[in-house]
Amino acid sequence: MATIQVSIPLPVLPEGWAAEKDFKALSSLSAPTQRNVEPVGPHFLAHARRKRHKRTFSEDER
Amino acid sequence: MSDDEGAAQERVAIGISFGNSYSSIAYTSSDGKAEVIANEEGDRQIPSILSYIDGEEFQGTQAKSQLVRNPQNTVAYFRDFLGQEFKSIDPTACHQSAHPIQHGSTVAFSIHDTLRPASPGSASANAIVPVSEIATRHLRRLKNSASDFLGKPVNAAVIAVPTNFSDAQRAALREAAERAGLEVLQLVHEPVAALLAYDARPSQPSPDKKKAGGVSQTADKIVVVVDVGGTRSDVAVLASCGGMYTVLATAHDYDVAGATFDGALMDHVAKEFLKKHKGAPDPRAEPRAAAKLRLEAEAVKKALSLGASASFSLESLVAGIDFAMPLNRSRYELLVARHVAALVRAAAHAVDKAGLDAGLDVAEVVCAGGSAHTPRLARALEAAFPRAAAAGAVRAPATDPAALNPSELAARGCAVQASLIEGFERADIEESTEAVVTVTPHLSRALGVVVVAGPAEEEVLVPIVEPDTPVPVRRTAVVPAPAQDGDVLVRLCEGERGVKVTRPERKRAETNGEEAGGSEGGSEEDSEEDDEDEDEEEEEVRERVWKATRTVAEVGLKGVRKGRMVEVQVNVGVGLEVQVMVREVGGKGGVRGVVGGPEGV
Ligand SMILES: Nc1ncnc2c1ncn2[C@@H]1O[C@H](COP(=O)(O)OP(=O)(O)OP(=O)(O)O)[C@@H](O)[C@H]1O
Ligand SMILES: [Mg+2]
Repeated sequence: MATIQVSIPLPVLPEGWAAEKDFKALSSLSAPTQRNVEPVGPHFLAHARRKRHKRTFSEDER
Repeated sequence: MSDDEGAAQERVAIGISFGNSYSSIAYTSSDGKAEVIANEEGDRQIPSILSYIDGEEFQGTQAKSQLVRNPQNTVAYFRDFLGQEFKSIDPTACHQSAHPIQHGSTVAFSIHDTLRPASPGSASANAIVPVSEIATRHLRRLKNSASDFLGKPVNAAVIAVPTNFSDAQRAALREAAERAGLEVLQLVHEPVAALLAYDARPSQPSPDKKKAGGVSQTADKIVVVVDVGGTRSDVAVLASCGGMYTVLATAHDYDVAGATFDGALMDHVAKEFLKKHKGAPDPRAEPRAAAKLRLEAEAVKKALSLGASASFSLESLVAGIDFAMPLNRSRYELLVARHVAALVRAAAHAVDKAGLDAGLDVAEVVCAGGSAHTPRLARALEAAFPRAAAAGAVRAPATDPAALNPSELAARGCAVQASLIEGFERADIEESTEAVVTVTPHLSRALGVVVVAGPAEEEVLVPIVEPDTPVPVRRTAVVPAPAQDGDVLVRLCEGERGVKVTRPERKRAETNGEEAGGSEGGSEEDSEEDDEDEDEEEEEVRERVWKATRTVAEVGLKGVRKGRMVEVQVNVGVGLEVQVMVREVGGKGGVRGVVGGPEGV
């Protein structure tokens, strides 16, 4: 997947913002919807391989 | 065949599109390019028709011409009957060819297909041939044409099927193909094959090409595939995310397709004929004349996709009268305008069903099926899908010079899939198409970062992962740092797409009287073809805006110099846990963190 190029800048960190290791986990994602991915194409085959072998992206690339 | 076993086991696989009206066969060459094969007659669109004359079998164009002289022994428009009960089929399309008959609970045709009587002592020379056998004969001929072309025996195939083919129809098609000597590696949905044909185009420049196995990486987007064939029209709305496809909604229309266009032309010509030859019989009421008229109407229709005018030329149409008349494209477009409008409505309906907005959410429209050559249809789709149109992404010959041939998409996509899987064990292919592998959690909201736009420092969400993306997924964005040196906030949020409506000021004043209830995001239905002055009515401008609905994580990146770029990488796992990595592009270190997934996933 190509990198997404954004042209609008990020905001400045507000005064007094502080977090352990500079990272605040605030809320989980919403519950997902279960859908059927079409079993077609090279990217699906890679997805199926990862799923069958329970591998992550980076493990898959090694 | 006395070949040794090793050779016999080697797969030679092709892609097949087997429609009710036409079929095509395609293969992937050694340099990875999918191409449609011409049969012995030089046809790439092979009519799905078999005809029998004195015990001899004809297929394709030759068989189609027999619709005039020998309709009762000519079998056409039968694909959808496979695996169906007789009582549930619609036989309308077979009106001018062999009629389907009941055979047990299934469908057959009564045809004179051999020189011998069907059964000894039987008065009729006709045989009852089940539709499954007809399909086998047709597929065997397609296989033989491909084998001739490739110079080696084809023995396997990937075949395209409609998204609403039932399990019984799929099983019947598989069986028919296996009996024709084709191992069916996989059945692929027609609109998905069409997208794969586009995404596998070798011409597309792509840095990731090697990793992706020849298929370029495409942006995440909503695509609508509008497939207008001969006897049916099918619409599919798909999320295309990093080369993976998810069908979000479909719609099917059996009332309007290519044959409807032919019918409109037939009516027009028949009326002109009767005007000129008062008292002559109506050619539509004479089976032979009607068949001639239909074939000529189809030929004229195709000619009008390319040129601005064409002419009907019908020798001895009815009662020995010859008839000829010219027809120009604009007249033709008038004749089919309401059918085109119906097709556009079907497409819009599918988008509605997916809960999406045709103008805002659909980034691309892929036009498939032979009737997608019709310029008027492509242009009507442009009008209905303004965002895709503005991006030059209504993919049809009339609206995109780089469009692929819409008649070839399904077969080409199948050939691409065939080349990807022909080396796999059958069990592996089957395992990969089972629900445990294909059913996947998809994000219900977008996931993005908050940026600040303009001098007013308005907060805007920019999506990094689109809604309806399957997980696991990894996406990277680079975002400019603020205009001064210092610390940067990366706020990662879930969000929803909203609409910003701007109405041209001047126009508002003029038309104050009938301000058509245009509240934010309100529907503007029914404004299609019927208002003539649509050009004058300056449309309000609707834009997409993303609204943050909840903050998932915040990251503070310290000491970033102005003018630098910040890289934000998100990795969403199968449990919807989010791994975040933020760093200055070219800098070292950076911040990492994890947000746990929702409960119960
Ligand atoms: N150049 C063209 N211009 C206009 N119409 C065309 C053109 N080429 C083919 N068609 C029409 O496309 C239709 C066939 O479409 P397609 O090849 O996709 O068939 P199909 O999938 O077998 O159809 P179905 O299953 O719906 O009967 C026919 O009505 C044919 O006349
Ligand atoms: Mg079709």
